[in-house]
Amino acid sequence: MMSASKASRLGEEIWKTRIDKVNSELVVLTYGTIVAQLCKDFDSDYVEVNKQLDKMGYNIGLRLIEDYLAKSNTMRRCANFRETAEMIAKVGFKIFLNITPTITNWTSDSKQFSLVFDENPLADFVELPDDGRAQDELWFSNILCGVLRGALEMVQMQVEAHFISDVLRGNDTTEMRISLIRYIDDELPPEDD
Amino acid sequence: MSHVPTGKPTGKEPAGLRYPTNGKTIYHRPLNRSKTAELSQSSFAYLFSEMVTYAQRRVTGIQELEKRLNNQGHPIGLKLLDLLLIREPARSQTRPLNIISLLQFIKMSLWQHLFGRQADRLEKSSNPDTPDEYMIIDNEPLVNAYISVPREMSQLNCAAYVAGIVEGVCDGAAFPARVTAHSVGGNEDGEMWPGKTVFLLKFQPEVLEREALIASKV
Amino acid sequence: MVIYSFYIFDRHTECIYSKLWLPPSAAAAAAPATPATANIVTGDGAGSVTLAPRGGPHNTDRRSVKVKASDDAKLIFGTVFSLRNMVRKLGGDDDAFISYRTGQYKLHYYETASSLRFVMLTDTTTLSMRSVLHQIYINLWVEYVVKNPLAPVEHKGGDGVKNELFELGLDQFVRGLM
Repeated sequence: MMSASKASRLGEEIWKTRIDKVNSELVVLTYGTIVAQLCKDFDSDYVEVNKQLDKMGYNIGLRLIEDYLAKSNTMRRCANFRETAEMIAKVGFKIFLNITPTITNWTSDSKQFSLVFDENPLADFVELPDDGRAQDELWFSNILCGVLRGALEMVQMQVEAHFISDVLRGNDTTEMRISLIRYIDDELPPEDD
Repeated sequence: MSHVPTGKPTGKEPAGLRYPTNGKTIYHRPLNRSKTAELSQSSFAYLFSEMVTYAQRRVTGIQELEKRLNNQGHPIGLKLLDLLLIREPARSQTRPLNIISLLQFIKMSLWQHLFGRQADRLEKSSNPDTPDEYMIIDNEPLVNAYISVPREMSQLNCAAYVAGIVEGVCDGAAFPARVTAHSVGGNEDGEMWPGKTVFLLKFQPEVLEREALIASKV
Repeated sequence: MVIYSFYIFDRHTECIYSKLWLPPSAAAAAAPATPATANIVTGDGAGSVTLAPRGGPHNTDRRSVKVKASDDAKLIFGTVFSLRNMVRKLGGDDDAFISYRTGQYKLHYYETASSLRFVMLTDTTTLSMRSVLHQIYINLWVEYVVKNPLAPVEHKGGDGVKNELFELGLDQFVRGLM
């Protein structure tokens, strides 16, 4: 099992040496225009926008995991969900968003934890619409929940992820809750008849 | 920073946004904070990829798809024009006043900021019938780095998104134009830049009229 | 080193890509006039795996060749999947099935943590191709298939895998090894 500090060093090392980089504003503005388009297409139905973002994230997760595995040279599965959490926070978030959210609030069965984001580049230029609803309904960075769901599914973990607070809503922290639902079995080839 | 709203509104306020008590709002961040910050190119590729896929589902043809990508880039161009000018040293903080300086601004500042290098070339249409057309040439657009266009969609160039950004800059600078992206690389053997893309800027007639007027007064 | 063929299977156990490289002698025999009958027969006698080349055989029904190729793929998957399960059972979850050898060929296997399975068949003298398969995964698969916005995320029926950049890259890479 990889220790937290080792995961940290690995994340740093990959970010420094193996990642092609672009200006962060290109990424951030692109994300902004995606959310804005969704709000337009769904007529500011923010619940639907959250859903769409999660779906997009899920699709990204299915792809991104391959990149993660390739860059991190991962050859084996994590030993347990706590190790998975370390790898998500210190390697995954580090190499794709150059941030390291804090892992906290584990449940005693080690199946649920929170990621607290001190920084969130996706929200760098953002203020939610002042329409009396967005701050109560829209989870601006909801795409990240989908990414985790998709990426972990590919490595045979079914998880549920959702935000429970966001500084964009006026909360003091941005916090995502992640729960392990089950480990997924290998798919078997169809029986020949 | 006393002019900046902080803290949760006390009591029941019907309107207005709530802000975190620790003052983590966009108004507290220096505008230049992310000027040189970097993120992974893959993250961009994945977001862009989802943007294209999502757009594809809501259109019926390639032209419509390009139009949609263009529309999504447009507001970014408007914002970047202001942002990049503000970041210039005070003496060069002026808006471009003629087509050439606008194109230079796009080729150098805009490209450098977004893609880490300048665009490869600027050209003016040599066709006397289209004096309103200019071209910005990028041999290898970053946004297309991972895109392999299938034959049946060979007309598609996803750099339409960048064309939209350029169009936004032009419109914001009061040089209204239509900007489109065209693949010109071809697939012949020995082609150095198979992904070469021409951004064709077609300025509105009033832009050329103004330009002529200014030129005649100098 | 001679590389005969290459397969990718996804987590749903479907063969989403296959490619065959004819051995030089067979390629010469497959000149326009002669039907490409250069099947690669592996194993010794009964239960052998016959790999029909995907090129256009002139005297065989195209469909039957296709069916044959897909049968081969299924057979290969069944085999490597069983071996990989057996290896894990005996050697523990961290053990990995890497290759097996017959009198005629060697099969190389690499599985990612995301359950993508890469398989390559070579001549018997070839050393381990595990790192080659890993390279194909990180440099070609991830770059040209995974990151291609115009390719779907899941590749049912091989959808989106056979794009120009990936095919070209793979062919160049493999020919560079031979």
